[in-house]
Formats: sequence, structure tokens, C-alpha cells
Amino acid sequence: MRALVIDDSATMRHIVADILQELGFDTCQATNGQEGLDLLESGQRFDLACIDWNMPVMDGLEFVAAVRARRQWPDLTLMMVTTEGERGQVVRALAAGAHEYVIKPFTADALASKLVLLGLLRGQERI
Amino acid sequence: MSMLGAVERQQVAEIAQEVFAAMVDRAPGLLRSAPVGPSAVADPLYAWVDLGTVPASRLLLTTDADTARALTRALLAMGEAQPVSEDDVADAFGEIANVLGGNIKALLPEHVGLTLPEVSRARPSGQAADACGEALFAWRGRPLVISLYTI
Amino acid sequence: MTISAGTFTFVADLVRRCSAIELPAGKEYLVESRLLPLVRQADLAGVDEYVDTLRTVPHCAEHDRVVDALTTNETSWFRDFTPFQALTRHVLPTLAAEHPTRTSVRVWSAACSTGQEPYSIAMACLDAAPTLRVDITATDISGQVLARGRAGRYSQVEINRGLPAPMLVRHFARAGTEWELSEQIRCRVTFLQHNLMDPPPSGGRFEVIFLRNVLIYFDPQTRAEVLRRVRSVLAPGGFLLLGATESTFGSQDAWERVAIGHGSLYRLNARGAA
Repeated sequence: MRALVIDDSATMRHIVADILQELGFDTCQATNGQEGLDLLESGQRFDLACIDWNMPVMDGLEFVAAVRARRQWPDLTLMMVTTEGERGQVVRALAAGAHEYVIKPFTADALASKLVLLGLLRGQERI
Repeated sequence: MSMLGAVERQQVAEIAQEVFAAMVDRAPGLLRSAPVGPSAVADPLYAWVDLGTVPASRLLLTTDADTARALTRALLAMGEAQPVSEDDVADAFGEIANVLGGNIKALLPEHVGLTLPEVSRARPSGQAADACGEALFAWRGRPLVISLYTI
Repeated sequence: MTISAGTFTFVADLVRRCSAIELPAGKEYLVESRLLPLVRQADLAGVDEYVDTLRTVPHCAEHDRVVDALTTNETSWFRDFTPFQALTRHVLPTLAAEHPTRTSVRVWSAACSTGQEPYSIAMACLDAAPTLRVDITATDISGQVLARGRAGRYSQVEINRGLPAPMLVRHFARAGTEWELSEQIRCRVTFLQHNLMDPPPSGGRFEVIFLRNVLIYFDPQTRAEVLRRVRSVLAPGGFLLLGATESTFGSQDAWERVAIGHGSLYRLNARGAA
């Protein structure tokens, strides 16, 4: 399983990538939505993208909308991982095509539980 | 009346404790309110985000440089002796301000934007509008000040 | 860390054997913190001493408690997920097919803790069968957790755990630093203080009973007794849902496993229904 971690904060990329690696994913990182899109278009295959919202150049919402509009990656699960915590923001992200939404702060097992919901992990995989 | 009026001191403390328990310490109880004590920090480092309230407001974190390095190591799950660069610290400390700011802004009656975090040894302009805008914490015994004020 | 390497190895082997979960090295602190409540219950001095008592006896309920303590996460929404899928995709349709005139279903969520399970049941049922009236009785021995359940408000961190984002936006609103369940969901759940050692809640039989991750805390005799009491309030053709690693072992002459998914779904067989 391969995951793309998109966040302008190196710290957050590190934290999310670490959790995903412990769950068995190979990870790649991008610092904004455009870089993420470039990686997808380069032909690399990903099962999951964890996307921050507020980033320069192309933000997370724009990335989600772009991915869904292109329709090239139907098996790519899009999960927002963001500080945007208003209910309205969650609604916007889901409407744009995100499959899941994690509001910071989150714990490793919460992220894992979302991946179980998405069918990317079997239940009770880890402690 | 500033939108900040919607934010209570207790809520800021709850948010801070959740952020630290979930992401910094991965265990609860290591960030505690420290109601008494000097709020002046020696060798300070500042991290802040601005909220798009009208007028604008600022969430400012203050700690000493050594604590900021310890926070960075904790967030990145690094060992105590491992070196961290200034860039690592700026990014990590800034991200804590970002997550705190994001959760505080979710308390507001209307959605507002949040600036990207800034980190500096120089205190940013503006000052606490009132004493209630500042809360003192002890993280693993080290000082951390969280200020929220109109700018 | 204060636990011995031998203790850690024993616990890791036990957990792996019973749950297929790997406890990686470096999690000694986790073993210690999760087992301390059991150590206190057993009135022993420390984790090493407690684990020593488990080495020399054949596998029993105490071993299961250790496994549960290590493999359990904090209370989660839609815990293990598949039982809730089984509820909406198999249980409700089966009940509807067998009783076409039925307009309501009674559900008992036993040992409901802070309410995530009964509310998950309510959300799943509302989304899958919006015209079906589902009355959920949620019980727990602790008044404290029941109060939290009744309030229906949860923190950011609790909300992230197992709750699908579409369910969050459909059924929750922000309340300060927390998220609050809609009245529409809250009104479907009645919280009652109840001890599983006592006669079951009154008010008629239940079509569905959730008894998840509780039986492992009882010895075989008590387990059988609890299952007997549960059986006495299960409606004919009703369903029982247990935890992912549990079974009706010891009482299996009354129950039949429903062969879907991970196998924690049971119905009474002819002998049990008699």
C-alpha cells in the first residue's frame, strides 16, 4: 500500500508518514497540492492521499477538486488531515470529493480507525 | 465587541491539553495550567498565527529556546539527545501554534481564516488587550505561555 | 521501564497467540500502563508479579483480560466496523423479511460505556432504515459513563476515533470545544444503570442485543449465566452481537453462529429458543 502525504509543515508530514509506515504503508511526501498532483501525474500509483488544507500554491481543497475532476485515479482514497475544524469545512471537503476527514489533533489509533472504515486496513491491526 | 469574546479561557486550556495529549506527549496530563508564576520567559522563542477576525487577532505561543527544542523532539518522537536544527524547531513550534489556532478559531461564531505560522526570537507587535488574554502553562515543568489577543 | 524482559515476552506471546496482534519492542510502557488496573484488582505489587501468576496456570479468563487490556483501544465509534455493517445489511433486512408488518425494533447495548456504541447503532439504523423506529436501551454499571452518554457531547479526539466524516456532518454540531449529537439521534437511546449480574432490563424483549467485549471479563460460569439472562430477553429470531474475539463458547448448545463476516453474530438455535 502506498500513501502520499501532502502538508506544508515538515513536522506534520513526518508525523503522518511515521504513523502510516507503522501501519504498513510506503510513503511519499509533497509540500503542497501542486506537488502532490505532479507526483500523481508522473505515474506513481497511490492508494491513499493524506492532505492538509491550508498550503501555499495549491491548497488541499483545490487538490481534492482537481483529482476528482480528472477522474484518472478512481482507486485513490482522499483523506483530509487538517486544523480546519468547523462543521462547514468538513461539509465543503466531502462535497468536493474527499472520502474522509481527520481534524488535528489526532492520535495514531484514530488515524488507523479511519483507515479501517475506508477498507484500507483490516480491523485490530495494531495496538 | 471582538469575536474573541466567544472564546473562554477554560476552552483554550482544554484545547491545549488535548493537543499536547494527542500529538506532543501521546499521553495525558503533562501540560498543566500554572496559574501563578512569572510570565516572563528567559531566552524566549515566539510562534504565532493570526485569525481573520474583525479586528484581527493573534494566537501567540511563548517558551524558551530549550523547551522549544524539547517540544520538537517530542512531536517528532525523537530521543532526548538527538540534535534538532533551527528549521526543525521553527516548523514544529509553528505547527503547534497552527493546531491551537485552528481549534480556537473553530469556537468562533463565523468561519475565519488562519495565517501560516511564524516563528521568531523577536516578540511580534501588538500586546494582550487584557490580562485574561494570557494563560500560563507548565509542560513537563517547563514554562509555556499561550496568549490570545486582538491586534 | 519497570517490567522485566521476560514479562514483556510472555505478554507479547500471549497477545500474538490470542489476537494475532504484534506487540513491538519498545511498547513496555504500554504493557505496564494497560496492565496496572488488573494488577491492582488482583491486589499484587507489580506487573512482573502479576504476570508470574499467569505463567503456571492453563489459559483462563485472566489471560483473556490481559489480551483485552492490551488490544483494546479507547472507546470508539463503530468499533470493529463490520458488526455495524452486519446490523444494517443482514440483521435489519432479515428481521424485516421475517416480520413484514413490524415497524419498530428494540435494541439493547449492554456495557455501553460513554455511549459511542448505542449512538453508532442509532446512526447506522437511521441512515439505513430511516422509517424504522429503533429504540435503543443502553446500560452500564457506571453512573459516570452513563452521564456522559446522556449528554451526547464528545471531544475532538474522541470524535476522530472511528466516526466516518459523513456521519459527523449528518448527526453532529459543534458545541464549544466539543461536538454534540443531534436530538434526532439522542432521543433514540435511553441510558439505564444496570449490572449484568442482575435481572435484565424490563420492558419487553429485544430483537438485537449488543454484548461486546464484556464476556471476557467473566469466568466461564458467570459467562454462561450472563448469556442465559441475555437469552431470556431476546425475542424469537433475535440476534446477539459479541466482540470480535468472543464467542458463545461454553453455551454453544443454545446459539448458532451466523456465517457472515468475522463471525461475532449469533441467533438462538431450536434448542436455545425453546
